[in-house]
Amino acid sequence: MSDANATASAPRFVAALGSLPHCVSQSPDGPVVEVELAQLKDVLRALRDRAGFEMCSFVTCIDHYPSEPRFALHHQLLSFEHNDRVRVRCVLPGENAPTCTDLWPGANYMERECFDMFGVRFEGHPDLRRLLMPDGYDHYPLRKEFPHHGIEPDKLYREWDRARREQWTEGAQ
Amino acid sequence: MGSLKPVGPESNEQQGSGFFATRADFLINWSRKNSLWPMPLGLSCCGIELMGLLGPKFDLARFGAEAARFTPRQCDLLIVAGTLTWKMAQAARTIYDQMPDPKWVVAMGVCSSSGGMYDSYSVVQGIDSIMPVDVYVPGCPPRPDAVIDAVLKLQKKIEREDPLGRLIGPATAPRPEEGTGKLVFQPNQGLPKGAWDKHAHDPKSRLAIGDPLPRKTEVKP
Repeated sequence: MSDANATASAPRFVAALGSLPHCVSQSPDGPVVEVELAQLKDVLRALRDRAGFEMCSFVTCIDHYPSEPRFALHHQLLSFEHNDRVRVRCVLPGENAPTCTDLWPGANYMERECFDMFGVRFEGHPDLRRLLMPDGYDHYPLRKEFPHHGIEPDKLYREWDRARREQWTEGAQ
Repeated sequence: MGSLKPVGPESNEQQGSGFFATRADFLINWSRKNSLWPMPLGLSCCGIELMGLLGPKFDLARFGAEAARFTPRQCDLLIVAGTLTWKMAQAARTIYDQMPDPKWVVAMGVCSSSGGMYDSYSVVQGIDSIMPVDVYVPGCPPRPDAVIDAVLKLQKKIEREDPLGRLIGPATAPRPEEGTGKLVFQPNQGLPKGAWDKHAHDPKSRLAIGDPLPRKTEVKP
């Protein structure tokens, strides 16, 4: 099994990364590659094309508030051929990150959810709209400073209700 | 409040062969309560129980409420079964508005009754924030028996209603803020419930034929 090789020596994908600056460590559930934001897209492409990671299992974000920089983006990749996984961790200096929907189209909705919950802007995403919260909501619920009960959760409903009633009264006049 | 009694000679053999005399109130309420057409709004796991309720085992048809229609234009009983999120709230309110009067609402399960365990930013804390509710059903999810009980309670409630009150009664006079576009919406502030219920807090009370109809307190303009 390739898993045994991975634990015995350096993971097999290190060769695929070549000269790209990165830092490989071991977490309890697999190897983690830490990269800078500038190299994130190149590392992901190299892992897909040269190391055979055909599938992006998830794209998510971790909020390390109040430490700065607060957001860390995580891509979990899976190789069917070699039966192993790798996680790419990238600390975001700001709120922007490159999209990987051109590498794995399945990342589309995961990046939308990440944008919806954390407010990470994926540059180049074909359709970066909110996924779970209503369109027009001003806040990002999974950020650490977001209160549990939410910030005016009924605000959009109230606006909709008011606009609807005004429409009715205008029609009556 | 009334009954369906045959009118005519007292002899047994002629009973049922003549005609019936009753009050219009009673007849209208009797026909309304025995042909409720539910609009199933299954939003989460309560929707599965609702399917069981409409299926052959629990069989809501025994109580005249099996004709589930999936367009609100043909329904008069909205069963909100499950967790209502604020994103879904606009759609749920639209469905309620599209249902023709008279209409009733059953909040099935704790999520739709009070938000339940989802004490969270995305969940409406009780659908009475956005629409009037007639019967609340506890349970997570409630068994179909409990919803049958709710339908029976709703039938008793319909029995007590003032059917013409929806057209001419003072309860239908628009509240001052309604229709002016100035209704201030407050979450968790229930809308008036049982506006046409003549004995909202006395389920045993019944009017005999000939009793004067109780009038509701007048709404000041």
